[in-house]
Amino acid sequence: MRHITSIAGRELSSLFVSPVAYVTLTLFALLAGFFFLAGVLSFDAQVAEAQSLQYTDYLEKINLNDAVLGPFFGVMWIVLLFLIPGITMGLFASEKVNGTQELLLTSPITIWELVLGKYIAGAVFAACLVLVAAFFTGILFLYGNPEFWRTISGLLGLLLLSWSYVAVGAFASSVTRNQLIAFFLALVLLLILWMLAVVADLGAAGGTIGADSNLSEVMRFLSASDRFEKMVRGLVDTRDLAYFAFMISVFLVFTKTSVESARWR
Amino acid sequence: MSDGAESSESVKADSSRIEARGISKRYGDFTAVEGVSFDVGEGEVVGFLGPNGAGKTTTMRILTGFIPPTEGSAQIAGYDLFSSPLEARRSIGYLPESPPIYPEMSVRSYLVYVSKLKDLPRARRKEAVDKALERCGLTHVQSRVIGLLSKGYRQRVGLAQAIVHEPPVLVLDEPTVGLDPIQISEIRQLIADLARPGEHGGQSVILSTHILAEVEAICRRVLIINEGTLVLDAQLTALAQEGQRLEDVFTRAAQGESIALGREVGK
Ligand SMILES: Nc1ncnc2c1ncn2[C@@H]1O[C@H](COP(=O)(O)OP(=O)(O)O)[C@@H](O)[C@H]1O
Ligand SMILES: [Mg+2]
Repeated sequence: MRHITSIAGRELSSLFVSPVAYVTLTLFALLAGFFFLAGVLSFDAQVAEAQSLQYTDYLEKINLNDAVLGPFFGVMWIVLLFLIPGITMGLFASEKVNGTQELLLTSPITIWELVLGKYIAGAVFAACLVLVAAFFTGILFLYGNPEFWRTISGLLGLLLLSWSYVAVGAFASSVTRNQLIAFFLALVLLLILWMLAVVADLGAAGGTIGADSNLSEVMRFLSASDRFEKMVRGLVDTRDLAYFAFMISVFLVFTKTSVESARWR
Repeated sequence: MSDGAESSESVKADSSRIEARGISKRYGDFTAVEGVSFDVGEGEVVGFLGPNGAGKTTTMRILTGFIPPTEGSAQIAGYDLFSSPLEARRSIGYLPESPPIYPEMSVRSYLVYVSKLKDLPRARRKEAVDKALERCGLTHVQSRVIGLLSKGYRQRVGLAQAIVHEPPVLVLDEPTVGLDPIQISEIRQLIADLARPGEHGGQSVILSTHILAEVEAICRRVLIINEGTLVLDAQLTALAQEGQRLEDVFTRAAQGESIALGREVGK
């Protein structure tokens, strides 16, 4: 247990002095700020137009959660999908380049301690990114009155999504010593996961795979999109929480197996 | 297990710090190491000599638990490397062929980190780090970032991380490679100091090299490995008594001649 905190602490302090971390944080803050502002401005414009045209029905229906936060969370999801591989690419790959893999694997630590320490460091960094997103949604509370719990639920969705992406990225980093390869492998894996629901829907619609077939079921289960959308709408379902826990565990087990197999290569 | 058997086990474990038994390593069809067996006792400094590609690094990686052998077993400080890996690894300090280094960390914070990984109790940490810094001549650069140090200093950092937890067994893979002559003699002096009996007895050191003078300068015993098999295990004094020069012995070993000297290896 002490090893886990030592490993996570060292990883974080190295991460926070690396250019990758600053580029990622800055890029995320800029993109979040841009999309947030765009959302708020277009909301303002819609409200103003509806008022001038006296669309009372529309004015009653329109709210900050649906019109601003929903699209904002949706965009942040995609931004995370592209940025998380950047922070996870070095987790294990850099140890191989530094020769410190030999230090770690000959130290009295278990592979699980190593994997969890690394994962926690990545998860803390991802939480910092989600915190930036939370900062912007916080601004909305000064400006209007979005539903508090619904907003929290959306942020939680974003956090869980990012944590599952860190697990995927950690795995990608464990299979190579090249950070660029680790980055693209993570990106490809995440894009595949992301597209599963779309592919399942398309396949069902096109008749290539039946809507109720096992394959389509599995694909839908593995896809995060429906679950994330539910959370953005404010529905926190234990089955969806279990899904994220499942994805994180699966990729951490893969990572552990991959790190362990380095001994046999 | 009877009491008698147990006590004889522990006596054996006490007298030898490294016990390699029939270690082999195969990569596919290629045999990197074949049936290597030897013992290293307390306070011994053993030179592990062999031409490039002989299997020195592979043997050391197996002894430190970095890679498993295809066959054979090993005990470190009385702990079996495969049944009690954590205890065995805690008893080892290892300087790999290329020193493990986090370029962005300061020398001191790196050694503190390593001492945590090696389970050095918190109360002894500061003192142990200071001592390792001092022994390796790193005190004046302790707050510098490792990546900005010269190769010689990085090698010293590598050595410092191997000794920081004062392990009973040190495995050093080419510890003086890439250093200038003055640094080389400093490192050799340091290794000789490590083996001198202290409060926990002298540390046992096995160091690999392909420099004959290095063995003659600091080791009392030499192991010569060629094409994966151990061809000589002898005290340097025994060689001298038989009028053999290490250089000749080494050349003959490298040519694949079997050597009728010292302990008969592999029997
Ligand atoms: N992972 C590996 N896969 C295949 N062959 C290897 C591997 N590691 C080492 N070898 C081979 O094993 C032999 C011994 O290597 P090594 O132990 O590094 O020798 P030394 O340290 O004595 O120079 C070499 O021929 C090397 O090419
Ligand atoms: Mg070597």
